[in-house]
Amino acid sequence: MSGAFESRRALVSGGAGGIGLATARLLAERGARVAILDRDPAISRDAAATIEGVAVVADVRDAEQVAAAVAQAARDLGGPIEVCVNAAGIYRIASLLELGPEEWDEVLAINLRGSWLVAREAVRGLVAAGVRGGAIVNISSTAGLIADASEPGAHYNASKAGVIALTKQMAAEWAPHGVRANAVCPGVIETSMLRLMDDPVAGQTYLDHQVPLGRLGQPEEVAAVIVFLASDEASYVTGVAVPVDGGVTSI
Amino acid sequence: MVGHVSRDRRQGGVSGNRAIVTGAARGLGEAVASRLVADGWHVALVDVVDEVETTAAALAATAPDATVVGIVADVSRENDVERAVTQAADVLGGLDALVNNAGIGGSDTPVVDTSLDAFHRVLDVNLVGSFLVARAVATVLLAQGSGGAIVNLGSILGQRGEAGSAAYSASKAGVTLLTQALALELGPHAIRVNTVAPGNMATEMHWEYVRDLAAQMDVGFDEARDHVRSGIPLGRHGTGDDIAGTVAWLLSDDASYVTGQTIGVNGGVVLS
Repeated sequence: MSGAFESRRALVSGGAGGIGLATARLLAERGARVAILDRDPAISRDAAATIEGVAVVADVRDAEQVAAAVAQAARDLGGPIEVCVNAAGIYRIASLLELGPEEWDEVLAINLRGSWLVAREAVRGLVAAGVRGGAIVNISSTAGLIADASEPGAHYNASKAGVIALTKQMAAEWAPHGVRANAVCPGVIETSMLRLMDDPVAGQTYLDHQVPLGRLGQPEEVAAVIVFLASDEASYVTGVAVPVDGGVTSI
Repeated sequence: MVGHVSRDRRQGGVSGNRAIVTGAARGLGEAVASRLVADGWHVALVDVVDEVETTAAALAATAPDATVVGIVADVSRENDVERAVTQAADVLGGLDALVNNAGIGGSDTPVVDTSLDAFHRVLDVNLVGSFLVARAVATVLLAQGSGGAIVNLGSILGQRGEAGSAAYSASKAGVTLLTQALALELGPHAIRVNTVAPGNMATEMHWEYVRDLAAQMDVGFDEARDHVRSGIPLGRHGTGDDIAGTVAWLLSDDASYVTGQTIGVNGGVVLS
C-alpha cells in the first residue's frame, strides 16, 4: 500500500518548494519521517516545520556538503535514508547560440551531478548500515524526452535526459542491494518554475492543442506518482521513467 | 490505500469504483480483480473459461458489500464482447474502469515456422481483443460523461523483441500504441489510458516459456528458471501482486495526470 510509509526515513532534496515540497508533504501524510534538504537554511527550516520534518542544508553540487547533510538527516531521523527523492533542480531558458558555458555548467551541476551525489550518499548510508532495500526517485522532465524550439533550454534538456540515464544505471547497479531507482518526467506543472502561462493566451492554446488532458498538472499530482514509485506498491518497478504530463509525450 | 484515495479529487481521475477485468479467471487478471475488490471496487470478471464464475464467487465471498460477477466471453469475438460489457454495465450500474488483461502467449516459434492461423490467433486475442473491449467500454464511459480509466496489459516483449516471439511481441507493441491513440482520443473526456508492461512473471504463461527454454538449453526446468532469474536486476520473478499494485495506482487519482504511458513492471530488465 502506498499509504504505508510507517516510520520510513525519507529525504527530499529541493523539498522546500514546488514538486519537492508536495512530495515531502505527501510522504509525511503517509507516515514517513522526512528530511528536507535545501541550499538555504531558513527556507529549509521553515518548510520542514510545516510537515514536522527535519531540515538539512547543502548545495547539491558540493560533494562534501551533500555527504554531511545526508549524514545529518540520517542522525536526526534515527537511521539511514530509505527513500531518497531528488527534486532539487533549476530551469533556464536560452537558445543554443546564446547560451553561455557558465550557465550550461550550473544547470548540469545542480540537476544532474546533484542527483547523483545525493542518491550516492543515501545508498552509501544504507550499505554501510547493512540495510537491504530502499527507493530512489529522481525528477527528470518531459524536456528530457522531447525538444521544444519555442522554449529552448538545451542544457536543461540534456540534464534531464542525463537524469534518465543516471536512473537506469542506479537501477542496474543498486538492484543487488535491493534498492530500486526510478524517475518521473513532469510536463507542464503549476509551480513557480513554469513559464508556459507567462503568455496566458499562448499558454492556453498549448494546453488546448498539445496536452490531451487539456490542463496544467498540479505539484500534488506529480508527488502522488513519486510516492507510488517510492512505495512497496511499486516493489517490482525499477529503472523506469514515468511521464506525468497529461499525455503530452503521447502526441 | 491507493484505491481509496478520494477518487473525485480532480478531473482526470476515476469518480466511481466499477471495473471490468478481462482474463480474470486466474493468473495476473485474478490478482488484479482480487486487489480491486479488496480496495472496495465492484468488479466484473470476464474470461473465456467457465472457471471465471468460480473465481468471481470466491472473491464475492470475501467482500459481502461488493458486487462481483463472473462473465464468460471470448474477447476476440465482437458479439461476445458487446454482450459482456453490456451485462457488466447493467449489473454494476455503470462503469468507471477497465483492465484489459486477457491475452495468450502463443508458442515459442520462429517466424518461418509460424502458420498464418497461429499468428492471427495471438493478434486476435491480444490486440483485437483489447481493441474490442476498450471500444465497448469507452462507448459506455463517453455516454456516462464522468471520466474513467483504462489500463491495458502490454509486455516487456512489446518494448523489445525476442527470437521466437514475433506474434506475441507484435501484439503487445500494438497494445502500447493502441493505448497512446486511445489516450489522445479520450483525454478531452477525462478518461486516462495507460499500459502496464510486465516482465518475467511467476505465471503459467511464463513457466510454459521456461519449459521451452529448458528444452532448447537441454537443461532441467529449475536451471532454465534460474537462468531467467539471473538476468533480472531485482533477482526474482514478478508476482500478481506486483502487477496489481501498479494497476491499482493507475486507476486511482494518484495517477490523475498520467495518461498514454507504458509502465514497465519488470524488476529492471529493460534498462537500455
